[in-house]
Amino acid sequence: MGPPDSPYAGGVFFLSIHFPTDYPFKPPKIAFTTKIYHPNINANGNICLDILKDQWSPALTISKVLLSICSLLTDANPDDPLVPEIAHIYKTDRAKYEATAREWTKKYAV
Amino acid sequence: MPSISVKLVAAESLYKRDVFRSPDPFAVLTIDGYQTKSTSAAKKTLNPYWNETFKFDDVTENSILTIQVFDQKKFKKKDQGFLGVVNVRIGDVLGHLDEDTTGGSRGREETITRDLKRSNDGMAVSGRLISVLSKQVGRSTDSTSSAPSAPTSSAQASGSVSSSRGTGTHTPRPTAAAVEHTLQSGAGSSSGSNNAASNNSSTRQYSSFEDQYGRLPPGWERRTDNFGRTYYVDHNTRTTTWKRPTLDQSEAERGNQLSANTELQRKQHRGRTLPTGSSDNSSVTVQTSTSSQTPAVNGSAAAAFAATGATTSGLGELPSGWEQRFTPEGRAYFVDHNTRTTTWVDPRRQQYIRTYGPTNTTIQQQPVSQLGPLPSGWEMRLTNTARVYFVDHNTKTTTWDDPRLPSSLDQNVPQYKRDFRRKVIYFRSQPALRILPGQCHIKVRRKNIFEDAYQEIMRQTPEDLKKRLMIKFDGEEGLDYGGVSREFFFLLSHEMFNPFYCLFEYSAHDNYTIQINPNSGINPEHLNYFKFIGRVVGLGVFHRRFLDAFFVGALYKMMLRKKVVLQDMEGVDAEVHNSLKWMLENSIDGILDLTFSADDERFGELLTVDLKPDGRNIEVTDENKKEYVELFAQWKIVDRVQEQFRAFMDGFNELIPEDLVTVFDERELELLIGGIAEIDVEDWKKHTDYRGYQESDEVIKWFWKCITEWDNEQRARLLQFTTGTSRIPVNGFKDLQGSDGPRRFTIEKAGEIAQLPKSHTCFNRVDLPPYDDYENMKQKLTLAVEETIGFGQE
Repeated sequence: MGPPDSPYAGGVFFLSIHFPTDYPFKPPKIAFTTKIYHPNINANGNICLDILKDQWSPALTISKVLLSICSLLTDANPDDPLVPEIAHIYKTDRAKYEATAREWTKKYAV
Repeated sequence: MPSISVKLVAAESLYKRDVFRSPDPFAVLTIDGYQTKSTSAAKKTLNPYWNETFKFDDVTENSILTIQVFDQKKFKKKDQGFLGVVNVRIGDVLGHLDEDTTGGSRGREETITRDLKRSNDGMAVSGRLISVLSKQVGRSTDSTSSAPSAPTSSAQASGSVSSSRGTGTHTPRPTAAAVEHTLQSGAGSSSGSNNAASNNSSTRQYSSFEDQYGRLPPGWERRTDNFGRTYYVDHNTRTTTWKRPTLDQSEAERGNQLSANTELQRKQHRGRTLPTGSSDNSSVTVQTSTSSQTPAVNGSAAAAFAATGATTSGLGELPSGWEQRFTPEGRAYFVDHNTRTTTWVDPRRQQYIRTYGPTNTTIQQQPVSQLGPLPSGWEMRLTNTARVYFVDHNTKTTTWDDPRLPSSLDQNVPQYKRDFRRKVIYFRSQPALRILPGQCHIKVRRKNIFEDAYQEIMRQTPEDLKKRLMIKFDGEEGLDYGGVSREFFFLLSHEMFNPFYCLFEYSAHDNYTIQINPNSGINPEHLNYFKFIGRVVGLGVFHRRFLDAFFVGALYKMMLRKKVVLQDMEGVDAEVHNSLKWMLENSIDGILDLTFSADDERFGELLTVDLKPDGRNIEVTDENKKEYVELFAQWKIVDRVQEQFRAFMDGFNELIPEDLVTVFDERELELLIGGIAEIDVEDWKKHTDYRGYQESDEVIKWFWKCITEWDNEQRARLLQFTTGTSRIPVNGFKDLQGSDGPRRFTIEKAGEIAQLPKSHTCFNRVDLPPYDDYENMKQKLTLAVEETIGFGQE
């Protein structure tokens, strides 16, 4: 569910979660299967989130990771973008970004 | 006591033992088995003409003069090229030595011609020996009796001839001239004096590495035969010629070589070296100091030993209590009855040792005799380039370093460097690593190098593989003088470690260190291939060829039978490493639900593996988690590839005995297998990122100054320290990979100035404290790089 205070509100986003054999020593591989317009999530659904990479800790549970992903939807991190074009618009024309994100949510996630 | 002089004129009609060639005869003269002199060797003749005079002291009429003739070409063989012996009782020739029959100052002189006799082993001999014996009147101190001998072709003999010219004085002469004299003679250039005498046109003495046309090409030496003719020795190919080599020729050859290896990577591979005693440029070699130039001392201080030892004896009496004896092989040794010890070293021999201070301005010399005898079981020998080295018969090792000299002599050379160099020398000197006589032919098709090499190398016995390697590429002309086999190992290492064959895989850490693929069993023949690869790695080490491959640090440790620990995981899988580390540092109670087991995926099938008996039913708690982490790392790195690794080591140990390789640590083993690469500092500098620093900062400037001053080995060590491997990507530093994709070399401002730099190998990052002066930084950096053991620092 898209967070209410974000342009993704009202959308339902599906994710795939793959647990490697070394889990919990290695982070789960999580990707969006629903298309989403976000500076840190690319067209393949890959997420750029530090805790899924080098900041992974075996103490992190799936619910904690999902919570982190939710907060990423609310507060994108345009300084470490996966999709630089979206990050650029996010920084220069926030309204345009929000409009496009809402449009994509309506189109793909409702 | 009376003394006599013996002039050995010539021999004639020597026995021709070989159908196709004549011997190089030389004679050894001995009085009563302890005063020994030898002539130079005449070349390729059955009628040698020596005309050399030797003086013997303390001779009585009952003394026996023994003159043996040998073929120098065969002197090292079993029969020593024996060509006959003549025994003469002095009294039979000269009568009573005490009687002054002529009354003049000339003494008596007798020319004798004797037939050469057989020795005990009854080999056929023939011919006669002509010599002139004369009695010296009174105690002649006239040193002319030891006339300068004809130039010899053996560097060993020439060293002794010139060193003994100063007569039997034992007084050290620590003057520059003396040292220069010994240095020159040490390089076998005693022919110079003979040249000057016989050839009036030469106004100065040229060293044997130069003449009136200038210096000879590297590796060439000029010598003179016993007819005064000049010939040239090429030490590179071990051939001789009458024609003077020119630099152009060898440069053209070099040009050809260069055009052959155009590829950047290939060049990189060829540039790899190891510090060995002979090629290491930071230690002074005696060769460089032969032409009375300033010896090349590279920054770091080093000690050079210039000595004029030889296997033949010096002049004069032995010190009291000493006796010269011979081994059954005819080799002279010396017995000190005072201390009841024996030594190969003639106590009369004069040796000088030079010590260079760091600035090269303070040169101390001292005769070796002041250092006292070598420790028991040690022997000093000369290489064929007249460089002194030392043999420790206790451990059967050799070294360039004089055991009597305090190790503080090279205190400015970093510890690791001394150690690694010495280790390599030790390692190479082991009998198990000697190249066996004969040749080992391996013929492969360039296109099919993996399969062909597999067939060729596996069908030969390990003993065959220890013979001189002769690699041939099908349809190519090149003869293997090193270049071809270098290419062979270069190409083959790319093939056999190629992850496409599923034998090896890239570590998760980055994409160029490799490890054994646990799933290699997809190839049913995989164990044979691992044995083959082990053989190839051993073959490379044995024949001093480098592989273009870099393993994860843990694999080198396994090869050394060292225990794999958590830290080694960093090079294998950084994420797993961090998680296991987190486990140790944090409480896992109620957070992690683990048992002493691990999940392993084999082609989609999930297997649970017990890390200890019934592990899957034993819970991991804060109390036993340490054991779990150890077992898990062990399983992940070692156990999963145990079979493959064992096959690999079986192959490797067929060429390199296991106990020999363990003198190295894992980083040194990497350098031994892969060599030390030429490192381009400019490229490195260009592709370095800074965190907290600017490129213009003083500390950063110091850092690069330090790197620039370092040699490749030290740079390689810093790379090992920072990135976990000494390997540089093919396209240079811009392609450096970290655990999470491209990661350029990074210098971060972190730490206190009293601390050492730290490294994060996953991120190719070094934490450099903001040191306040250059010396401090250099010292700290050196210390961090050389003292850290194991991969990955946190």
